[in-house]
Amino acid sequence: MTHDEMSIESVLAIDCGSTTTQALLVDRVGHEYRLIARAEAPSSKEPPWNDIVVAVRQAVSKLTEITGWRLLDEAGQIITPERQDGGVDAVVAVASASEPLRTLAIGLRRDISLESARQALAGSYVLLEEQVSLDRRQGGVLSDDVDGQIRLIRELKPDLVVLVGGIDGADNDHLLVAAEAVGLGCSALPKGERPTVVYAGNADLRPAVAEILGAYCDLRAVDNVRPELSVENPAPLQTEVEEIYHRKKMDRVPGFGTLAAWSPVPVQPANKAFAQTVQYLAQLDGINVLGVNVGGASTTAASVVDRQLDLRVRSDLGLSYSAARLLEEVPVESILRWLPFEMDPGDLRDAMLNKALRPRTLPQTRQELLLEQALAREILRLTVADLSARWPQGGSRLYKHLLPKFHLIVGAGGVLANVASFGQAALMLLDGLQPVGVCGLALDRVGLTAPLSAVAMVNPLAAAQVMEQDALLNLGTVVAPVGTAREGETALTFRLNYEDERTLEVEVAYGSLEIIPLPAGRTATLELRPSRRFDIGLGTKGQAGTTKVEGGIIGIIVDARGRPLPMAEDAAEQQARMQRWLWDMGS
Amino acid sequence: MYYPVSVRIAPTTTILRERILPQRGEVLVERGAVVLATDVVARCQVPGEVKAVDVSRELRIDRARAAGRIRVAAGDTVQAGDVVAAARGLAGRFRNCRAPADGRVLEVRNGLIFIEAAPVSLELQAGMKGQIASVMPGLGVVVSATGALLQGIWGNGGTAEGVLKMVVDSPEKPLRARAIDVSCQGTLIVGGRIPGEEVLEQATEAKVRGIIVGSARADLRPALEALPIPVMLTEGFGMLPLSQPAYSLLQSSMGREASLDAETRTRWDVKRPELIVPWQPTVSEASPQPEAIPLEEGVMVRIARGPHMGATGAVTHIPARPQVVESGARLPVAEVEVDGDPVAVPLANLELIH
Repeated sequence: MTHDEMSIESVLAIDCGSTTTQALLVDRVGHEYRLIARAEAPSSKEPPWNDIVVAVRQAVSKLTEITGWRLLDEAGQIITPERQDGGVDAVVAVASASEPLRTLAIGLRRDISLESARQALAGSYVLLEEQVSLDRRQGGVLSDDVDGQIRLIRELKPDLVVLVGGIDGADNDHLLVAAEAVGLGCSALPKGERPTVVYAGNADLRPAVAEILGAYCDLRAVDNVRPELSVENPAPLQTEVEEIYHRKKMDRVPGFGTLAAWSPVPVQPANKAFAQTVQYLAQLDGINVLGVNVGGASTTAASVVDRQLDLRVRSDLGLSYSAARLLEEVPVESILRWLPFEMDPGDLRDAMLNKALRPRTLPQTRQELLLEQALAREILRLTVADLSARWPQGGSRLYKHLLPKFHLIVGAGGVLANVASFGQAALMLLDGLQPVGVCGLALDRVGLTAPLSAVAMVNPLAAAQVMEQDALLNLGTVVAPVGTAREGETALTFRLNYEDERTLEVEVAYGSLEIIPLPAGRTATLELRPSRRFDIGLGTKGQAGTTKVEGGIIGIIVDARGRPLPMAEDAAEQQARMQRWLWDMGS
Repeated sequence: MYYPVSVRIAPTTTILRERILPQRGEVLVERGAVVLATDVVARCQVPGEVKAVDVSRELRIDRARAAGRIRVAAGDTVQAGDVVAAARGLAGRFRNCRAPADGRVLEVRNGLIFIEAAPVSLELQAGMKGQIASVMPGLGVVVSATGALLQGIWGNGGTAEGVLKMVVDSPEKPLRARAIDVSCQGTLIVGGRIPGEEVLEQATEAKVRGIIVGSARADLRPALEALPIPVMLTEGFGMLPLSQPAYSLLQSSMGREASLDAETRTRWDVKRPELIVPWQPTVSEASPQPEAIPLEEGVMVRIARGPHMGATGAVTHIPARPQVVESGARLPVAEVEVDGDPVAVPLANLELIH
């Protein structure tokens, strides 16, 4: 621990989201660090404030009301370092309130270079508006619709153009033609509106591309994202795009300068911070962890599978600003199937559009709440489906179309945290993600997952202790056998051996969802005996196993509904199933 | 202190609107000038579209050879159809590449000829009847007026000016195609909601200039977005009537000239559609900053979600502690008087009317 870290005890962590801004006070209590208080305010990026710091001050003032500890001075500045009458030793912040980088990707082959670029961009706040591939063959000649590319740039006015293609050393004439088009497209825009162009293609063409584009735009050249057909090299492009996002978006959010000036460490993008915490949790116990954070404008999924970290940000999927966009991705029936009541598809579309128009509003009735939870299930499903391309087959991934075996799943975001019952949060995670085998479920109820990563930058011990004590609410352990059978057939039998030597033996029927209470802080040994049609995550159907499980606010959830989760074809029957699942989960 | 989202439904207020050119140009009016909505206040030249001629592809020769077949150079002026490159084919016949548009050759590189069409003159209109409050040389103006201002929640884009015409006699009544007759030509028509596509067809047929309603179904959005005339929804999507304050404002403005701006941005850089009914031109020195008004007892609010969505009323009480609402969640709420009864509404679902 450095001298600075030792002297930093109290930390104010700020999270500027698109819809909500929250302030969290971390300090030493006795011999350990704890979360002292948390407060939030509606984000203030939009009129009439046009300044994110307004909401920060409102949230910090509420912290003062809660704790009685003065944090702001007369000028509205946060008092640092801590002194006798108030203040904190350090301020740290994460932010997701800025607009994503509107991006145009141009590549030689959709399935090779462009796909590598898409994967490299997937972990950043990027909205991939268009992808242009130059591989449409017409009459034996490569078709490079130069006019179309120029027009696209003029119409889209993207923040970023990513140009990729060709393995290093190859002859790629048409990539230079695309560069010409990009240059012309850029030159037609006013200087302040021209995109930054990142070239991450054939390294040998870099001088030629620089000659073509250098005069027209801010050109950045990085190592080839696909230097060889069988080799992907996403890191240089990712790093460059992160830097551009910081410079073009985060730094330009009104009030960002004030926020940045308060903090001794850089303000982190919330997606990166979230991923770092997921990685920390995985490294701590050497386990596979999946974290999902459903926000108002974007959704983040970060996973560590067999020690490999992957991150996916869907800047177009969220529960408020981006609610209407979901309708462009999935048919309305995909959302309706998660509702326990009948709803007119037109009413659903009305509700989703209204939510996008009024992103700050909250569900007031049970029907509205369940509708938002239905949207969350689809958003989780789509985000994790994108991430699944990164998970290699084998190892912890036993089944191609299912999740790998995760030891812990962490859910974050307002829709998961602000539930009427914790059973609703657990059911959203089970339905949207469909975990397999034995897996812990935890909820980030207070929105600490991302901010703690920033706290770790000034005081790692404080971050670790708060993570241990206050960050995650343990919902329980889920046991989800993989397989199918006829409704009512036995999927598995288990015996639960409690610490006090009591035992419980239960036969679980296929299609059911069983809850066995096991309070938080208690452990038990679970002997699982699946029937011959089911695998409990050991890779072989019918193979029995024993595992130690932790309790939680719900307990042990045996999800014997099958994997993949079967849905009834008849709408009324599916509604009845949803209602039964909600009842089973105590909601 | 809680600051709700606010919505402008103001029968009389000072309105200032910036009119800015997309790029530097010439301002044509002076400060203090009285302008009509359609008066041109500034203009600029916008570069024409760039067209590419891919000589190598059109002549079916490689890029290195294509350069030698090009007959124009950067800076040359061309007419549509002019031969800009030619090559002799196998049978000895010439194959020609022709200019796709009138314009100027911008660049010749790598076997490509880029032709920029002639610049287009863009004229910026005042957008509302008023007085020029200030001039930003080369950039644009600020137009000012005293009048009524009605902010909507969604619009399909575009602007229009016309006389306001009410075609329903209550805020709940939907627009009916049969009610849109020849007397609606050139007007901005007002109704409770849009019940179906036939209303849009009839409005276009009758040469209506714009539509202001409380709501339309989301299923109609594609048709609304394709409509050549601007439409503003004041309440949202669904079957919501015009709110009483909005209806009163519109009713009291009947027969007056108004400007409808239906441009909407909902995700980033939010912009709501609006209707401006200027009463008289006024030169205001300073642009009144949009103010953040705290939620207090007595203020008028609109309920933006839930069972009472669209209802308006005064806040009667703000409980100090969060309350459990019908969803089961515990949320901070305010009590609002709706039809004489107090209803508890989450603070997040209130819009302050001012």
